[in-house]
Amino acid sequence: MSWDFEQLQQQARDEILKAGDPQELENCRIKYLGRKGVVQEIYAGLAQLSKEEKPRVGKDANDLKNFIGGLLDEQGEKIREGQEKKKPRLDVTLPGVQPPLGRRHVLTQIIEEVCEIFKGLGFVVEEGPEVETEFNNFTALNIPVDHPSRDAFDTFYLNLADPGQKDRNLLLRSQTSPVQIRVMKKNKPPLAVVAPGKVYRPDAVDATHSFMFHQIEGLLVDKKVTFAELKGLLTEFCHRFFGKDVKMRFRPHFFPFTEPSAEVDISWDSSKKSSKKWLEIMGCGMVHPKVFESCGYKKGEYTGLAFGMGVERMAMLRYGINDIRAFYENDLRFLNQF
Amino acid sequence: MKASINWLKDYVAIDIPADKLIHRLTMAGLEVEHVEKKGGDTVFEMEITPNRPDCLSMIGIAREVSAILNKPLKKPAAKVSLPRTKTQITVKDKKACSRYIGIVVEGVKVGVSPKWLKTRIEALGLRSINNVVDITNFCLMEWGQPLHAFDYDKLGGNKIIVRRGAKGETLTTLDGEKRETGPDVLVIADNAKPVALAGVMGGENTEVTPSTKNIFLESASFDPVLIRRTVRALGLASDSSYRFERGIDSRLVKEGALRAVSLILQEAGGKITAYHDTGSVRTAAVGKIAITPDQIRDLLGADIPASRCKNILKKLECSVTGSGQSLKVAAPVFRNDLKEPVDLIEEIARVIGYDNLPSAIPQIKAVNVAPESRWDQRTAIRGIMTGLGLNEIITYTMTSGEALARAGEAGVKGIEVVNPISQDHRLMRPSTLPNILDVVLTNINRGQKDFRFFELGKVFFPGGERETLSVVMTGPRANDWLNKENRQPVNFYDLKGIFDALFQRLGIPADYNAADDGAFESGRAARILVKGKPAGTLGAVCPNVLKNCSIKHDHLLYARLDLETVYPLIGAAHRRYRRISDYPPVTRDVSLAVDKDISFADMTAGIREKSAGLLKDIVFIEEYLGEKIAGGRRGLVFSLVYQSDKRTLTEDEVQKIHDTILEDIIYRTKAVVR
Repeated sequence: MSWDFEQLQQQARDEILKAGDPQELENCRIKYLGRKGVVQEIYAGLAQLSKEEKPRVGKDANDLKNFIGGLLDEQGEKIREGQEKKKPRLDVTLPGVQPPLGRRHVLTQIIEEVCEIFKGLGFVVEEGPEVETEFNNFTALNIPVDHPSRDAFDTFYLNLADPGQKDRNLLLRSQTSPVQIRVMKKNKPPLAVVAPGKVYRPDAVDATHSFMFHQIEGLLVDKKVTFAELKGLLTEFCHRFFGKDVKMRFRPHFFPFTEPSAEVDISWDSSKKSSKKWLEIMGCGMVHPKVFESCGYKKGEYTGLAFGMGVERMAMLRYGINDIRAFYENDLRFLNQF
Repeated sequence: MKASINWLKDYVAIDIPADKLIHRLTMAGLEVEHVEKKGGDTVFEMEITPNRPDCLSMIGIAREVSAILNKPLKKPAAKVSLPRTKTQITVKDKKACSRYIGIVVEGVKVGVSPKWLKTRIEALGLRSINNVVDITNFCLMEWGQPLHAFDYDKLGGNKIIVRRGAKGETLTTLDGEKRETGPDVLVIADNAKPVALAGVMGGENTEVTPSTKNIFLESASFDPVLIRRTVRALGLASDSSYRFERGIDSRLVKEGALRAVSLILQEAGGKITAYHDTGSVRTAAVGKIAITPDQIRDLLGADIPASRCKNILKKLECSVTGSGQSLKVAAPVFRNDLKEPVDLIEEIARVIGYDNLPSAIPQIKAVNVAPESRWDQRTAIRGIMTGLGLNEIITYTMTSGEALARAGEAGVKGIEVVNPISQDHRLMRPSTLPNILDVVLTNINRGQKDFRFFELGKVFFPGGERETLSVVMTGPRANDWLNKENRQPVNFYDLKGIFDALFQRLGIPADYNAADDGAFESGRAARILVKGKPAGTLGAVCPNVLKNCSIKHDHLLYARLDLETVYPLIGAAHRRYRRISDYPPVTRDVSLAVDKDISFADMTAGIREKSAGLLKDIVFIEEYLGEKIAGGRRGLVFSLVYQSDKRTLTEDEVQKIHDTILEDIIYRTKAVVR
């Protein structure tokens, strides 16, 4: 038996190059390389050849097989490329199929950012209940019994008796400061705590007032904590939160639970004028000895610093929000901006 | 409190420009809020903190200026000789009126005020009325002591009685309003009628007019709390009440009266014919406060020379003895706020100016507090919920009985607020649904009908407050323009999927069973069980609730989960890594028709136990409710996944276990293979 390998090669090449789609190419593959294909037939015929002929024809058959195999791959690649070119192109400007995007409320974002800054400085986050006792919210904070803030005009009282104090009702905390009392009654210094949370005051709702709002309280107590450290700590905080270029000032103020007390003002106005626009952002001071006394600390043993800020105010200043009600309306178009 | 720089110059030499002085006052704690140039004068308004009633006068402000600028303070002195004749004054309520001075001046000439007087009081925004009234106002502003002049001849019986008002009794005050007094209000009366609301405003009936010949000058001390209540009850405040509310140095009762009467004699003439002082000066011994430079340094973190401290305190009219290692300080009587060393340290610090004190970063030691807050767990849950595509909302925590009833939550009682801000916020909410529905209504009314919200907020019960995770959602299942099917409205299973994902991520096993709850649509709600304990509900909001709340929308899903039940379980179970099997899983699909009362949970209950540990997963594929299934039945399709950790399972082995399981299901549920 003999085969004209040259002719076979020629024939296979013509047929393969003519194949225009994957099916035609597959037919070629079956014809030449299939189980009953041409190459297989040659291998089957090798047995009948003489010893001398066998190696030569066997080599020719292998060459033919490799040649056809290579050609099939090449042509296959060409067909694929051709087909891809024919496919319509995607309009990549059509919108993606977007999974719903969840966001934290802007007030939460502010609270988390502030707490993260203080956590980075060594503080831990603590919280207290929204329903408080008169003792924790006022008495222990050195707020006198006849102080106006205790009036029903300034504090919400609940129709719920204080189990710890006769003839006293529980109230909604009007500040986060009672968390200071709770922390100090339970723990001995050193203490470094930030306490975010909701507070309540019976203010009629308008663009700048809300009967429910959020505060963040901070407390650092140890031996010999100084006013210089209060300034240093809050300066560091303001630089991290508002940016390094913010101007700050500590202005003396009055709070019953701190002495000395201050309010912190910030300004982005770089002019040297003393009349530049200052915005009040928090209250702070050195913990009043009377507060330590109510928590059972020995007189003179510790000093401490405390500060408190309004979360809504911080958000309003940062984002230019001019109506506090927007935070509680939860309009989707508002929420989606943060 | 308003102040005029020109007026201040009567008492202290001011050698710096007005804007510098104003800045220094602000930085010493007298925050200037408004500045106005008036002719050759600068008038500014300050916020005086409640601990500093002594600054509610020009003398008080001048004293601060004297300390800030380190200049002496010159106070005006009044020299008046008083007769022995007493006027008739009866104080019925001594607690409410601790001191009352009355001076009768006869033969005054009421007329236009001289220019100097007009200039002074008009600078502070007061209207000039006549010389006598203007002098009382001048002294009020100069000393901070409220004064009132009555037409002596119009006082019935020439008598003054300080007493409580009576029910139905009225007085027309100087502003022309007729007001009811009542027993909660302190009045000044003559023998028949009230003539002034004590500490607040005088009455028209005894007003000093150009025809007045004889006057009765009042200078008194009234209880701050009583005045505050009167102001609130009547909705009437005045320059006098503002000062009484904050407390006035009782010595000023006399000083102010004498200053006023001396000016009246000077400007309106006349003669003092009677005088009476009912009370006494508060002479409670003022204790001395000892303070050392170490104390100052330890609190401020600054070294301030003792001489500087001494000088500042003296300028503030403290008497200071000692030097060097210990100062003994007695605060002036008008400074009730100076009681302890820290109070004096604040005085020193604020006069120097906080901005002139050093600043240092604190060295925070390892903190002694084991936090009990749920901050970390809450933050984790918030992260999961936002990751699942939900937007966080924050709602008010107050509601009303009506809102609860509308929301189908009439059964739960909230805690009453004694002094609510409005009828809609009378209760501390026992459920988040009413407040959540408010947010839904707001958004739907504004045409926003595609949202997924969650809230981490509290609900309140007499036994305590509990944190709750609430979820509310509506809109299409996905904004998927590729696949119309996905644009169907969200349903129960979308909501349940969120909770499945939450519990899976927290590593807490949860079960669900059918729930009937007023707020939810019947047959469309499930109770969430955490470790077998009910911890919440999820499902479709009852259409009636939507109707009651005027929400014009056809589907809304809501869920609430009590986090106090969930929190202790987060991270409680010790997690161990389980080696991933090297051997292939084998999946067998099951398609059964089953009675409608049989749940999927019923069907799969206990089948893992029958698989010799080889059933690794049950994957639900489809529920079929079509007509091709015989009456009262539904089709359920799911796959069972078998896998061993030790070897490749043979077909025969899997088939044997699978047949056992299938037989068990069919036996228990009377299911039919489809």
